[in-house]
Formats: sequence, structure tokens, C-alpha cells
Amino acid sequence: MAGKAQAGGAKSRFKQDEKRRDSDHVSFLKHRGFRWLWIALGLSLATIAGYLLIDQQPRPNGGTWYGYTLGTIGFGLIIWLSLLGVRKRRITTGAWSLKAWTSAHVYLGLSLVVIGTLHTGFQIGWNVHTLAYVLMLLVIATGIYGVIVYATLPQSLSANRKAMTRAQMLDALTAIDRQLESAAQPLARAEADLVIAALGQDVFGGGALARLTGSYPDCATARACTGISRGSEAETRVVALLEKRSEQLAQIRGALRIRAALEVWLFVHIPLTIALIAALTAHVISVFYYW
Amino acid sequence: MAFLIRTIDFTAAGREIVRDRVLDQASLAIGRAAENDIHLPDLAVEQHHARIDVQGDGTLKVTSLGTLGFALDGRAVADGTIDPRTGGEIALGAARLAVARESDGTIAITIRQVAPEEGKGDALRGFQLASVLPSKRAMSWVFAAAILVMLLMVPVTSHLLRTPAKPDPTGKTEGAVLLDSAWSAGELSLKHHSLEDNCESCHVAAFESVKDETCLSCHKGIGEHADRPRLATGMPALSAGDAIQWKIAEGLGKEGPLGCVSCHSEHEGPVRQKAGGEAFCSDCHKDLPARLKDTQLTGAHDFGKAHPQFRPAYYASFGAAKPVRAAAGAKPVERSGLKFPHDVHMNARGGAARMAVSLKQYGKPLECKDCHSPSPDKAGFKPVQMEQACESCHSLAAGGIGKLRHGSLKHLAEDLARISTGPRSFDSGRERPGRLGSASPYRADFGRPVRAYIGISNALSAGGVCTECHLPTTGPTGQADLMPVNLPDRFLTSGYFNHEAHKKEECTDCHAADTSKAASDLLIPDLKSCRDCHLGATAVKTKKIVPSDCAMCHAYHVPAGQWSPKGPEPHYVPKPLAPPKYKPEATKTVVAAIRGSASK
Repeated sequence: MAGKAQAGGAKSRFKQDEKRRDSDHVSFLKHRGFRWLWIALGLSLATIAGYLLIDQQPRPNGGTWYGYTLGTIGFGLIIWLSLLGVRKRRITTGAWSLKAWTSAHVYLGLSLVVIGTLHTGFQIGWNVHTLAYVLMLLVIATGIYGVIVYATLPQSLSANRKAMTRAQMLDALTAIDRQLESAAQPLARAEADLVIAALGQDVFGGGALARLTGSYPDCATARACTGISRGSEAETRVVALLEKRSEQLAQIRGALRIRAALEVWLFVHIPLTIALIAALTAHVISVFYYW
Repeated sequence: MAFLIRTIDFTAAGREIVRDRVLDQASLAIGRAAENDIHLPDLAVEQHHARIDVQGDGTLKVTSLGTLGFALDGRAVADGTIDPRTGGEIALGAARLAVARESDGTIAITIRQVAPEEGKGDALRGFQLASVLPSKRAMSWVFAAAILVMLLMVPVTSHLLRTPAKPDPTGKTEGAVLLDSAWSAGELSLKHHSLEDNCESCHVAAFESVKDETCLSCHKGIGEHADRPRLATGMPALSAGDAIQWKIAEGLGKEGPLGCVSCHSEHEGPVRQKAGGEAFCSDCHKDLPARLKDTQLTGAHDFGKAHPQFRPAYYASFGAAKPVRAAAGAKPVERSGLKFPHDVHMNARGGAARMAVSLKQYGKPLECKDCHSPSPDKAGFKPVQMEQACESCHSLAAGGIGKLRHGSLKHLAEDLARISTGPRSFDSGRERPGRLGSASPYRADFGRPVRAYIGISNALSAGGVCTECHLPTTGPTGQADLMPVNLPDRFLTSGYFNHEAHKKEECTDCHAADTSKAASDLLIPDLKSCRDCHLGATAVKTKKIVPSDCAMCHAYHVPAGQWSPKGPEPHYVPKPLAPPKYKPEATKTVVAAIRGSASK
């Protein structure tokens, strides 16, 4: 009896572990054998079939009963998808795991391209209705970008680290800077100024565009490297240290670039989602205000 | 090889204390134990932590002795190499050992203590993109607020506070609501384009769908396809989806599926309302009699397959007040009150042809167009005028004193009376007295108009000049009279036929005029003759076959009108024409009269 209980316990333990393993190691894209991908595909195909088969008079757009149905589904989906931001801040367990939620978010979000487009009836113009549609497409496009970079960039981020933490990268730069400070003591005014400029420049400066492109045309370290001749021994040493600094900066900037690429879509995705909800509100109210 | 060990400490007051000592040896031991060359009193450092060896090429090899490594230029390592010419920095606990070569060749190792960095977490924050971009929350608020204010609050507020603008088809009045053009789902149709800047001309009240009365405020007198209740009965059942939509929409105050806007959907771009397709008509008309029990119409859905026989309007009895429509398939006998054998006039070898050849006006046998001239729109024909069409042969010239006027018995009487009194030539300007005999015009001038009476009687009785074409009859008081001429101005009253579009055909291809012996023949072609070329919309187009949908011959609002992509719409109930001279009681066109009786 005790053995049976033990076996039962082991079995449930196994199940529990399997569940944990599943939740730990399966990407949200593959969650439950692409369950939400199939659901989203089914939804998209069903709406396309409905669009083609249902006789919408006088012509297909948001004003037919099918158009209203698509619009209602789309509106509901957009509101629910935007609630991911609320959901992910609440740590819960159970069937509606955050992974399931994210999986559904991605695939149902993609199906909105089909639902939203069919709702428009392919009528596009310069108005609040198309604004909402375009915002929705932009949000989805940035979301697609986000999924792609989340799937690909973390590897290059880790490759760029070369077994250093971000703190160590900064420490290394500080170490080089301290050496530069003392090594530069014999230098003449003009060269000393170049070193001061290099040391004084904020490693995180340059703005978002420089981060995303990895191009820093105003880099004071690079300028000091080329500006100081290798005449004396002290100068040679300073230049060598500056080159070392450049290398270290390159690593940090590489990390910044990848990090920026990983994060930039959220700076479009989130504000445009809120803008989309505002535009949707204006769309729905205006349609019935001028019915 | 000499090492210069320089220790830099700070007093409590912040003053720097620098101690130098020179060790002339090839290797240095570093650790917490006092016997080390470089003694670091720091619990994070091991007793014997690391060793620095000078190598053959002048570089320094740093090796950790225990399990804990050290940081070389910020990087955590277990051992490493420093080139003294470039220098390097070793971090051990809180100590930083800066290695550099002095000018005299000694290797200086400068030892400093660094305070633990408290702001490190903050520094790491710099790696986030958020440190160089405005916050997502702020951007969200700005975008959402801009959209809600510009696209919702401004139009709604200005709508609530405005003085309503009047609908103005000329387009000169702009709407009073601000920024509501952003709400427009698309450009208006071509005919409504002038209202583009005045949304209020149609969208009168908030949350109220466009009302029929608003449309009718401009579109006065538009023809109704049929009475609304009959339309509702004749309509097929709505699909489940449409039924739900209309139920909800009507619950919210929208006019039902018979309202103007349910067909005339706007904001579809600068186009004209398209003619309804065959399905639009056949939805109701395919099996209309099944729903609308009392209708005289039979089911119709495809001109080639299911279309009722034409029922032309004609006058079934002499002098009838109104035309009637022929029964389907019947051979109507028209009582126009005229005698006119078409075959006699059209026979190229007959007397009429010979007379025409002899006349300069014709010069050759008569053709249809000699009598029937097209109406200005070239779709139909003007009424035949006796003076133009008949008189060159059927002359009313009266013995050198002019001619009799045609059209009215009163005129005839006056003209005959004038035959005797009319102006004539004299030898001199003076009348000689005493000539009162029968040869003189005196009696005719001053006596009783006996000859005129006789003339009228002769003209109106059988064999007289009038009865060449007209039927003699007697008036209410028994006097001689002629049967009034009744010809409908349109035979096909529920459809539209354009003769111009068929000008390549011979008239006799459709109208059997060349074999018609009497005016009582109604020469309107039947369905079969149309179907030689015209089949339903789904027919395959060939050189001869023209796929024809309902709109080719019928319009919705006035079925007798034709929808055309250009020109005026046939939407409106036709205006009464000027009454013809011979039918003073007629105030309406035949189409209007028939439609009027049908709607009663």
C-alpha cells in the first residue's frame, strides 16, 4: 500500500516534472504543438471563406452584417491582445500560463491582419478609419519584428559578451581609463586635451540612432587615436591604451546595438498600441455618430 | 629587473600619502599574508593570491596561485600577461595595481584602494535603450491624446455647439463641424460631390442614421418603384445575418431595407450609382407572384429564359379616354381612329411610290423616315404631323385660294367659309355697281354661307377629303364629325427602347409594317424578335448575341426609364407634356396615366 502510494507519488511527480520541463524549455512559439498557430490559421481561413461566400450587399465593407461581425471580433481581439501588458505583470500559474498567453498574443495578433483587412473591404482613405487600420498594421509589423529579434539576437548578444558581464565591460573601460590618466601625464597640451575629451565622453552617449546603427562619428577616443602621433614613448603608450579603449568601446557598443535592436520595437509597439486603442475608439464612435 | 612599488593611501582628511619602495627581483608575490612582496590587507584577497613574473621578452606574467582569480584590465581571469610598455591594471579586492614602465626601465606598480561603486546598477541602466528614448508611457499618452482630441473631441464638441448648416447642393455652404472630414469613410459619389465639405447635409443628428426625408428634401418627385407595403411584401426573406442586422439597426432608429441608403450606399468613391445587376432585380422578380398574390406581373429573371411577353399600351376602342395594355400574347386591334395601310405606302411599285418618285420632295419610293422622324434624344420618334408627313400627297390645297388647315373642325369650317370670301384678283381697284348675278362674288361675300356648309358636309362624309384618312362619325348634337385620333406617345410603358442603339437594323426587321394592311395592326415587336439578339446577362457574348441585364431596358425608380452612365437619371416621374392639339383633355403622358391607374 505504501509502495502504491509511493508509485502514485512518483507518477504525479513525473507528471509535474514533465509539466515543468515543458514550461521551461519549449519556446512560446511552439507552445503545445503550435496550438495557437492552428487556432489563428483556422480563424483566418474561416473569415476569408466567409468573406468570399457571404453575399454582402451593396458591397463588402465594415457596414454589412459580416463587416460588423469582423469588426467586433477585431475590436475584441485588439483589446485582449493589449492586455498582455497587464497579464505579464501578474505572476500566476495554471492553464493560462504567461507562455500560453504570449503564444496566443503572437498568433491571434497575426490573424488580425486578415480580420482587419477583410473588415475594411479594401477601402482605404485619409480618415480615422484607415488611421486605425494602419496603426494596427504597424503594431503587428513591429510585433513580427519583435518575435524575429527575440528568436535570433540573444545568441549574438551572448557572442558579443565574450564571457564578460556588462558590469565587467564597464570595469574594463574604467581600468583602461585610469591607466590612460596616468600614462598621459607627459603629454603636451593639445594631446592631453584629446585624452581628456576621450575620457570625458559618455560611453552611453550618441543617442538612439547611433546605438541602432553602431556608428559613432563623434567618437572622441577614435579622434584621439588618430590625433596623437607615436613620437615619444609616452605617446606610443597612450595611443596603445587608446586603441585598447576603442576595442573595449566597440564591445560595449556592440552590446548596445544588439540590445537596441532587441528593444526598439517595443518603443513603437506599445505607444502605437495605445494610439490604436484611441483611434479605434474614435473610429467606432464616429461611425455611429454620423451613422 | 627592478619593481617600483608605489602605494597611494588617503588620510581621513583626504590627504594623499605616497610611499615608494624598490624591489630588485624578477618576481613579485601578492597576497594578504604579511610575507608577500605586495601585502594587501583585504579579506577578499587570499593569503597567497597571485604572482608576477618577468618573462624573457620583458612582459610580465600574472598567475593566480589559488582558486580565486583576479581582474586584468577589468576582465576576470586566472592568469594573464601584461606588456609593461602598454601597461595594465590588476584588480584584487578593493586594490587596483596599475602596472607601467618608467622611463628608466623600472616597472612601476601603483597600488590604490578604490571605494566600492555604489552607482554601478545605475550605470548598467545605460545599456537599456530606454535611457536614450522618451518613455513608452509618455509617447502613448501623447499619441492617444492627440488622436482623441483631434479626431473625436473636436468634431463632437463643435457638432454639439454649432449652428446647423443647411444642405446646399451647389457646394458653397461648408459644414459647421470642425475636422469631421476625417470621419468620412470615402469620397462621395459624383452627383453628391458638392456636399463633400458639408457632412451635416445628410448626417443631420448625432447617432441617427441618414433619413429618407433628408434625401427627399432635395430629391423631390422621385419615382417609387412601387408602394412601400407592396415592395415589402414582394421582397424575399432576408438572410439570417441581414435579418439580425436590420433588427438591431431598426431598433436603433435606422430605416429598414427599403430606405434610400440601403441601396444608395455613399462614400464609395467618386463614381455614379451603378445600375442594379440582374440578381438585384431577380431577387424579387424571379418569383414575385408567389409573394405578391395580386400582381399582374409574371416572374422574370433572365431576358433569354424567363421574361413575360410585352404588353404594349394601345387604344382598344375608338375615342377611348385611356389606353389599355394588351394581354400577354394577344393580338391587339388598335382603334386609333386613323385609316392607314402601311403596305400601300411602303410598296415600292405601288401608286404611293410612284407619286413619291414624281415629287421633288421625295424623288424615290417612300421610306419609313419620310414620315417618322426621330425625337431629339433619338431614342424614340416624334408624333407624326400630317402637315409634314402626309400633305405633300394628301393635299388640302383648295382651288388656288390657299389650303385648308388640318387638325380642327372649327378651322375647317372657317377655311371653307373663306373659300368664297377670300382675296381674289381684280382688274381694277374699283367695283362696278349693279353686278349682283350669280357670276359675281357678291352672294358669296354677303349671302348665307350655303357653299361652306355643303363643303363641310362633303368633306366629312364618306368619300370626302377628310375620310381619306379619318373615320366619319357624328357629334353629340348629331352633326358630322370625325373620330378623334388616339395614339399613345409610348407603347412599351414599363421598359425602355432606344432606336438609336438599333440604327443598323432595318425598321422592318422588327416592325412588320410592309405587310400591314390596316392601321388597326399594332406593329410593336414581340419578345421573340428581341431574343434574336438579346439574351440574359449570363449569355455568352458573340457577334450576334448581346448579354442583356434588366437595366438595359428598365430602371428601378421609373421602370420605363433607362439607366445610363451619362446624362440625367430616369429617376423622376416624367413631367406632364404640353397637351397635344387634337387631344385637349389629355394632361398627362400615357406613361404617367397608366402608372397612375396602376398605383390606385
